[in-house]
This record gives sequence, structure tokens and C-alpha cells, in this order.
Amino acid sequence: MSAGSPPLRFGVGDGRSAWVGRPTVGPRQAAAWSRHQEILTELRAIRGRAYPRVRALFREKSWLLFEILLPFLSTSAFVFVYRALAAPPEYIGFVVLGGAMTAFWLNVIWMMAAQLHWEKDQGNLELYFAAPIDLMSVLFGMAVGGLVMSGSRAAVVLAVATTVYGVTFDVGSWLLLGLVFGLTLAALYGLGMVLASLFLMWGREAWHLTQLLTEPIYFVSGLNFPVGRLGLLGALAISTIPLAVGLDAMRQLSFRGAPSFGTPPPEVEAAILVAMAVGFLAVARIAIRVLEGLARREGRLTLRWR
Amino acid sequence: MSTLSGSRWGAAGPSTLDPERVRGGGLGDALRAYLAAVRLGWATEANWTDPFLFFIYSVAKPVSAALILVVMVEIVGGEAGRAFRGYVVTGSALWSFVIAGISGLAWSVLDDRERYRMLRYLYVSPASFALLLVGRGTARLTVGAMGALITLAVGVVVLGLPLDPGRVDWPLLGVAMVGGLVAIVVIGILMAAVCLQTRQDSWSYPEAVAGSLFLVSGAVFPLAVLPQAVQLVGLATPLTWWLAGVRLALFPDGPSVVGGEGSAWALLSGSTAPTSVDIALALLTTGALATLAAAAVFRWSEHRARERGLIDQTSGS
Repeated sequence: MSAGSPPLRFGVGDGRSAWVGRPTVGPRQAAAWSRHQEILTELRAIRGRAYPRVRALFREKSWLLFEILLPFLSTSAFVFVYRALAAPPEYIGFVVLGGAMTAFWLNVIWMMAAQLHWEKDQGNLELYFAAPIDLMSVLFGMAVGGLVMSGSRAAVVLAVATTVYGVTFDVGSWLLLGLVFGLTLAALYGLGMVLASLFLMWGREAWHLTQLLTEPIYFVSGLNFPVGRLGLLGALAISTIPLAVGLDAMRQLSFRGAPSFGTPPPEVEAAILVAMAVGFLAVARIAIRVLEGLARREGRLTLRWR
Repeated sequence: MSTLSGSRWGAAGPSTLDPERVRGGGLGDALRAYLAAVRLGWATEANWTDPFLFFIYSVAKPVSAALILVVMVEIVGGEAGRAFRGYVVTGSALWSFVIAGISGLAWSVLDDRERYRMLRYLYVSPASFALLLVGRGTARLTVGAMGALITLAVGVVVLGLPLDPGRVDWPLLGVAMVGGLVAIVVIGILMAAVCLQTRQDSWSYPEAVAGSLFLVSGAVFPLAVLPQAVQLVGLATPLTWWLAGVRLALFPDGPSVVGGEGSAWALLSGSTAPTSVDIALALLTTGALATLAAAAVFRWSEHRARERGLIDQTSGS
């Protein structure tokens, strides 16, 4: 440090960094990389955060039993409820589709929303804040890894249940169905990123809120029945919960002629999903910026068990 | 011999440490350890928010689960649907005991090992490890009981479930509830043994197990709907008999969980539906077998966890 430079302190108000002695707001800026280096680092961060989730599929063998076979049996229980009631065959298809989509919702809740809270408990969160990467890359990495995990579970549930229970899909437009599926995942994981930030700020309540966001969300999203049957509650769910609107659109596209109970056509629901995906990602970005600021300014986000 | 060297466990000669006091082992010590674990479990479960929010949290899950089934029944409609509504509400209400009981025990392992990192200290405490887990799980079971009662109340008051206290078979209800709760705790111990061996991501495992038992135990539809081979699996599960006992005690005229025309029970026993005595005996037998199996698996898992250093491991993905 030259004789004329001001003294360096952590967390100084004038934006000067203790790391390199020039005005920066965090490690990313302090690194002073080229655009190319920044992009490469962010991509590596995404890959690095996705890696343990993908590898976990092969390392934890119990996952096959508990995350694939048993959830299939759970879905089957609802199939037999409809069979006991002698319901029309498309209702069995509703259950199978809903059972496949629960894999993504559970992944969003357990492994996205609650994840930053757990990272804090484990002491990893402060490392994320100290690393020269964008926290959004960490969240994207978690989402990519989670998609691989939950996608395999959903595929198995869908394939096995379709075969075992003889579900016949009557798809009007595969292109639109694929688009709606992709948009649903984008909106779901965008919501997961928002919740991850909120749960981190809420602290210990986050754990219990994770519990609260399963069955009640299944109910208002119409997991095993057309959500339009819930009337106003269903309409509210369609306008706020990606699982509800995505499931309803996919049902309408997969089972032509099945009752929809007055919900919007799939094209409109696809537009709702686009708005949700963009909105959630934007809110997540803002929330992450706020969090980073809090973490650096007050330091309380890296304190465990709060 | 110095005082220090004489303080080894089991060493002869004068000692500053009385092994008998450290080991405990009496009924009074066990009860104190259990009650301390229950208090700890309740504090962990309940002190994160105000009582009103805690109440909402406790009942939202089971009530929503019941409502999903009620809408499924209503949407198909018809006379069969109306008769079926009481069946699914009762099954769904009782199932909150199962979810809470199984996950309570399994999560106490994951909570204390991965989140609070206290499992190693609990493990080396003089109290029995299994007893501490049961104590921790009791708190969640109490939360499950709240959910079950509220769901049943919603069923009776809002959905018109025909519950007549004058016709309830109280002795059968008592036997079924005691046997059923023991069976739930036993399955919870089994899951705790599994979670001792797995990573932190096994938070969802207890619910997955409960979900699969949901299929084979006749919780929301009579077993007779299932293929014969699956019905036999259901008949070997104590939860099936618990549900059958509680249903028969509360709603004597309701559909049988295990019986019915062409059911595996009818083929095996020659009777259309089991009596109260059949149900009590079957619950005791299957519960005893499940207890033996859980005890063996837990001992093996505990031994393996000690050998491999899993008691204080933390993991993540």
C-alpha cells in the first residue's frame, strides 16, 4: 500500500475492497476478469453445483428404491381410488401425469427452496458469497442437477404407470405439449429460486414451510383431478402456482375431450407460464442481490441455526 | 494404582467413576431419558413460531390430503362415491399418524446428525439410543394426532361423516390404537435405521415408505380392489389391521378394509369380513413380527454406523 492511499477496512462505506485496494462490491468485481473469463467461470459454477446431484444418482443406490419405486407405489394408490370408484379411464391418466409432475415439485421445494438454508447450516453459504461467482449460477446449477434427478424419477413413473395401468394419451399437439412442459419447468425452478432466497431470510421457519408446501399445494393445484373443479380457488391457483397451470395445460393437451371445468385453453396457459417464468427469474435475481448485500453488510446470513 | 488409572471402566480397585451410575439402565433412568427426549422433540417441533401458526401448520397437511381424496370422490360422483367419502376421510385422517410417526423418528436422526450435529453427543450419552429416538419421534406423533383429530372433526362437521359415539366399539378402538401406534413407531425405528446409513438427501425417504404402505394397507380404498398377491402383502402389514380395527370400531356399518367378495381374506378364511377378535389377533401378530424385524435391523444398522463412522458424518448434494 502506498503512503498516500487511505487505510483499508472490511465493509467500508465508500465501496473500497479489502482484497485488492480498489473500489469493488464483491469478489467477482475484485477478480477483474475479462468477459470471456467471467462467462467461463459462471458456466463452471453451474456445472460444479450440478455435479454432486448428478453423481449422487449413481453413488446413493438407495435412491433408486426410495425416490423411484416407492413414489410409483404412492401414485398407484390414487389410481386404485379411481378404480374403486369405476372412474373413466382418462382420470387414471390424470393421476399418472400428476404423479410424474410431483417429482419436480418435490425437487423444487426440498432441493431448491430449502437448499440455501441448508447450505447456511452446513457452512457452505459463506463460501458461495466469498467465491468470485454469481449466486444465480449456483441456483442454476442446483436447478440443472435437480432436473436430472427429478426428470429420471418422473420418466420412470410416467413410463411404468402408463404401461402397468394401460393409460392411453390422446395428444393434440406434441409441439405445444413439449413447450408447455419446458415452460412449466422454467416457471417451477424460477419459483424455487425465489423461495430459496426467502427461505434463507426466514431461517428456521423455512424447514417447516417446506412441509406446508406439499399437500396443500397438491390440493389447490389439482394434482389428481382437473383444477377447474375447485372453482375460484382453482382459478387463483392457475394464476399463481406454476404446478397448477402447467398440469392443467398438459392434461388438456394429453387427453383431448377430457373435462376441463372451464379453465383457459392451453395456449393461454402457456402464455401465463411464460409470464411466470420471466417474473420469477427477475424476482429471484433481485432477491439474490438483496441477500448478497445483507450477507456482506451485516454478516448474519452466514450465521448457522438462526 | 493412581486415581486416574483406576477410573477405567470395569477396572478393579478404587475408582472415581461409578460405572453403574454412568450406565444407568433402571426403569426410572429410562423414563427420565425418554421424557427429556420428548421435551427436546417438542421444543424442536413447536417453538419456531407462535401457537396459532403452529396449529395451522399442523392441520393444513392432513386436511389438504383428505380434501384431495374428497374432490376425487366427488368428481366421479354417484352413490358409490357418497358411500366412499367417509371411508377416504377416515383413512386419510388416520394416515397423518403414519406420516408423522415414521418421519418423526427418521428425521430425528437426520436433524441431529446433519443440521444440529448433536447426534454424536446424544449417542454417547448414557441413555439408550433407540429410546432417545422414540422420544424425539413422540413429539411429531403428537402433532400427527392433532392433524388426525382435526381432519376427523372436519369430516364429521363439514362433510357429514356418520359418527355416532353411542355405537363406537371403545375396547376395539383402544386395542387398535395402542397396537397401531406401536406398529407406527416400530416402522419409524426401521426408517431411522435406514437413515443412519444414508445421506442427508434422505429427508423424503420416510414419506416414500409411507406412500407405498398407503397403497397396500387399505387406507383409502378396500384391499379387495388390489390384485390378490398385493392383498397378501397388505394382510401381513400391521397398519392394515390397525386401520381395519379403527374403522370397524368407529363405523360398524362401513365397508370392510380387508374383507369383501373375492378378497384374499375371504379366500383364506372363508368369511366375508374379519371380526373384532380376528382384527385384534392379526394386529398383535403382525405387530410383534414387525417389532422383531425392526429391532434386528436397527441393531445391525447401529453397529454398521459405529464401525464406519456414520454417527457424526455430514453430507450434501
